[in-house]
Amino acid sequence: MARAGRRIKRFTVFAILCVVVVVMLFPFAYMIATSFRSYDQFLTGQGFSLDSWQGLFEQLPVVQQLLNSAIVTISAVALILFTSTTAGYAFAKLRFPVSPLLFVAILAGMMIPVQSIIIPEFVNVANAGLINQYPGPILVYAALGIPFGTYLMTTYFRGVPSELIEASLMDGASYRQIFTGVMVPLAIPAIVTVAVLQFIQIWGDLLIGLLFLNQPDVRTITVGLATLQSARIIPVPMIMAGSILSALPAVIVYLFFQRQLIAGLTMGMGK
Amino acid sequence: MRDAAAFERAVGGAQHDAPRSTGRLRRSERRAGMLFVVPAVVLYALLLALPIVQTFYYSLTRWNGIKSTFIGLDNYERLFTDPTFWRVVTNNVILLAAIPFAILIPLAVAFLLNEHVLGWRFFRSSYFLPTAISWVVIGIVAVRFFAQRGILNSLLTTLGIPIQTDMLASEWTAMLAVAITFIWSVFGTNTIIFITGMATLDRDVYEAARVDGAGGFSTFRYITVPLLMRFIQFAFILTLITGFTALFSLIFVMTTGGPGFGTTTLEFYVYQTAFAQGEFGYAAAVGVVLFVIVFGISLIQLRLFRDRSE
Repeated sequence: MARAGRRIKRFTVFAILCVVVVVMLFPFAYMIATSFRSYDQFLTGQGFSLDSWQGLFEQLPVVQQLLNSAIVTISAVALILFTSTTAGYAFAKLRFPVSPLLFVAILAGMMIPVQSIIIPEFVNVANAGLINQYPGPILVYAALGIPFGTYLMTTYFRGVPSELIEASLMDGASYRQIFTGVMVPLAIPAIVTVAVLQFIQIWGDLLIGLLFLNQPDVRTITVGLATLQSARIIPVPMIMAGSILSALPAVIVYLFFQRQLIAGLTMGMGK
Repeated sequence: MRDAAAFERAVGGAQHDAPRSTGRLRRSERRAGMLFVVPAVVLYALLLALPIVQTFYYSLTRWNGIKSTFIGLDNYERLFTDPTFWRVVTNNVILLAAIPFAILIPLAVAFLLNEHVLGWRFFRSSYFLPTAISWVVIGIVAVRFFAQRGILNSLLTTLGIPIQTDMLASEWTAMLAVAITFIWSVFGTNTIIFITGMATLDRDVYEAARVDGAGGFSTFRYITVPLLMRFIQFAFILTLITGFTALFSLIFVMTTGGPGFGTTTLEFYVYQTAFAQGEFGYAAAVGVVLFVIVFGISLIQLRLFRDRSE
């Protein structure tokens, strides 16, 4: 009796979870199915065609835009990794004046909404002549990622035993050598977490790209897609193909680094 | 060269002249520390700290991007008497009202996932997938879902329900559509937070509850939820901040803030006033209001977490 009840219960749970999966995955199935239809087939709701994919690559500069996205995202992530590992090491392991104050100030940066600084940011970058130049958005993205990256790296480095550093110092290593030879190799998991989180965020961002890269030839794929959508002149199946193409790199990163992504998310909670 | 110096410092210090050498070590540690934070601090100062100070200053000026005049608190006076501003704030309040759903649904699903039925790992990965997807892409599909000739209506027809919707065409239903999409998008993140939380709970507590004859719902209500309070608070704050500061792309793609100001939230209003209307000073004032709200919420969060850990 009790055994049967337990079975029914587990089956009910399974069934509910299946319904939730349908709700969560349906949009993706819809995107894929729609992208493999021509516009006429989309209207009638049946058929299979590669027209939309072909049209996407022929009529729109998607390859260039993917490249733009890659340049901007990878450079910004690299800059975030460099600045946050060096700063994290210093905050966690080196004693220097105003360190606690600087640390708190940088962490407070996490509480600044992008929209609250976007106006002066735009004006400053424009004055520096960096609108429609890759370094403009790269620097802005990097700055936005620094508070979280530094927080995560500092937390991680604090867990590394100080004896390791002292032993290396005794062996005559410089602080820079300890950083590259001891600390960075130890911090690979945290570095991957920061990289994955920032990659997904920057790849999918619209606002910064929209304002700082407003010429079609330097636009990122996300910005290109959003402007196409808001113009509402491109057939739906082609938009869906574009959506899949733009989402693909981030999805691949997600599939490979799911664990690190989850770790990073819950690390925001601290201890 | 550098190695030799460091070697001499370390070895010499240990053997001959300990106090002076630790002083020297301390000095080189100080120098290294300051050098290592320079890249982060420079970027932070120029691209985060400076602009937020500028925003405060600009909010006190009338400024069209070229010519700026100091006008004191006039922008704020205008803002607080502007019906559009209050309409926009109402939209933020609607997002606030969506948060209980964005918490409770994931909480219930996480509770079920925690039963570890067949395929639970697959379920978990599927739920979390939208986290990797840009808001732009989510918005594009959401438009197809809610549009007049979209998925929702064909679903209603298939089910034989004689109702046809056009949610994006009028103010309140459009905001409802945005809120629903928002709940859908944060579902995975919050589910993962709660799953992580549940993994920290002691299995014995559940055993004890079962022995005492507690059913599924009362276990959830009286054991899981209270024990997960810290995680629920974290998810609440995270969702709130996401709702107030990360929906720009979603709104841009779904409705561009319309119809009217039906789906314009504070963050979108900053963009509109600044980059569509060219009123930079006034937009900066909206930006300051948003900053104060988000900063305030974050401080409350810090407070809550400190209280818990003490």
